[in-house]
Amino acid sequence: MKVIYLITLIFLSIFFTTTEISLVYADDTTLLKISPMMFQNPQLDQKMKVIYLITLIFLSIFFTKVETSPVYADDLKSPTFEIQMSTINITGGAKSSTTYKLTDTVGQTFQGQFNSAGISDLDINFGSLVPGIPSLLSNTLTVTTGSAFGYAVKAIEDHPLRRSDGVTTIPDTSCDLATPCLQADANVWGDNARFGFGYNMSGTDVNIADFVNSTYYRPFPVENIDQPAIVMSKGGIATSSAATVTYKVNISGSQAAGTYQNAIQFIAIPAF
Amino acid sequence: MTKKIFITILLCVLTFAILLPKNISAANYGMSISPPLLRVHIKPGRSITQVYKIENLSNNDKTLVAAIVPFTESDISGNPVLNPKATAPWLSYFSLANSEIKFNKPFPISAGASEQLILSLSVPETAPLKDIYATLIVSTYVNSVDQTFQGSALRATIGSNLLITVSSQAYPDTILRIEGFYPAKGTVIKIGELYFADSITPLKFTATVNNEGSFTAETKGVFRVTSGKGKPVYLEGILPVNVIAKSQRQLLNTNGNSFEFSPSLSNIGSHQLSLEIKTDNSNTTSTINIIFFPLKLSLGLLISLLLIISIVRVTSKTPEKST
Repeated sequence: MKVIYLITLIFLSIFFTTTEISLVYADDTTLLKISPMMFQNPQLDQKMKVIYLITLIFLSIFFTKVETSPVYADDLKSPTFEIQMSTINITGGAKSSTTYKLTDTVGQTFQGQFNSAGISDLDINFGSLVPGIPSLLSNTLTVTTGSAFGYAVKAIEDHPLRRSDGVTTIPDTSCDLATPCLQADANVWGDNARFGFGYNMSGTDVNIADFVNSTYYRPFPVENIDQPAIVMSKGGIATSSAATVTYKVNISGSQAAGTYQNAIQFIAIPAF
Repeated sequence: MTKKIFITILLCVLTFAILLPKNISAANYGMSISPPLLRVHIKPGRSITQVYKIENLSNNDKTLVAAIVPFTESDISGNPVLNPKATAPWLSYFSLANSEIKFNKPFPISAGASEQLILSLSVPETAPLKDIYATLIVSTYVNSVDQTFQGSALRATIGSNLLITVSSQAYPDTILRIEGFYPAKGTVIKIGELYFADSITPLKFTATVNNEGSFTAETKGVFRVTSGKGKPVYLEGILPVNVIAKSQRQLLNTNGNSFEFSPSLSNIGSHQLSLEIKTDNSNTTSTINIIFFPLKLSLGLLISLLLIISIVRVTSKTPEKST
């Protein structure tokens, strides 16, 4: 293969040194003409032509042959045992020398403490709501995990914001009419004539492809009906990952007066 | 005199600004649990005990409640799909050995204090031989909400996973299958079953593994590249993750990223790339063949040659000054 490659390059060198290339219009007008100096520069002496050709061939050989020598990785095998990458993280990383290149992990992948799952505020109290004027509140979720496999924070509500009569609700948002959102698919909610309750996420370990900016909202999934929705996740160790949850509620003028409440659960679970 | 007063006031202001304690903000609620994963092989008729440490990291006393929630599925990243309302007959295998803390009963924990949950698992002699998956969850407990409160009362839950294999064998049969071992799109040319790639462009690969067996298996193994002559060129470990029964997991390297191979100029021609997983009682391998060729290098050389020729041509056409 290398020989073929080298021959090809030498051939190309000779070809471009001795062949004329022209791009010509239909009316025979020449658009571009690339001609080797052999044809175009009769004043150039024969010695220069040879030097030029040799230089090109030398460059071809240089790029073909100047390279790292063949590399051999340790097979980690013997007739009596085979060492596969184990799971104890004593050391790891990329190693190389003139004779091998190896990326390894030696040791047990350690599952550290899953800690600091915190919420900055457990009460999201909107107070009095004004029809057509959205109310926004936010809090922060913080997660630290030593788990090499990562984590996910999921969210779910017990029911939509509901009055004490147990019947009247502020519906979960479906976002703007032109940009409808789902429980796992955020979308734009900027129209104050669209009513409901939803949330936006921003910060570390948030899916920013879904929550593109602060106008993107989702409705909460409902307990016993839906699966919890992932609001934060990471595939490896997380150190003080923090995300802001912004809750938005907007009611219509016909919303029945009363106090509306629900409970939202954030579940932080490590992966395995 | 005025200057001295000004300097004194300035120093006082600076002193207070620097030395006065800053506001310290703490999470309204914070909690830790360890260990995050309990992986157990247990024979019917045996019992084990595991102590979990729960810490209240907030500045307020809290009331918590612990529960065991079963699950049967996980996503491709190993996050369990929990169903808090799910029940299973084997939930009775679990109990808390604490004298005052029981499952689904609220218990207090002081600000900054820690508590131990002593989880006991007793598998009866007649227990079916299979895997059981559950998450020990600890949640904030809300008894009642102020009637004047308008909005959402938040509950925080933290969990630790339990992957239990009930088996009379030390290493029950596992069936893993590697699927979807492909180079990332845009980096290769595929003709039929053959892949062609540039010999100096790094390639990324994705792969998943299916556990078709009834027991959890771990993805211990290697990503290996060998030349056409069978010489090893590159070796990288697979991140050992637990694949629960009848589920699929994404395979990653030991850094938690996609597998990547950066060929050198010497890696020209056919190469074999393989993912090899070895469990305690079975092996699985997936292989693809890629032909590396110096595409970028050839193009670069071609363009260089064209430029050189053009420059020489233009130079040679410069009219000579008439004397």
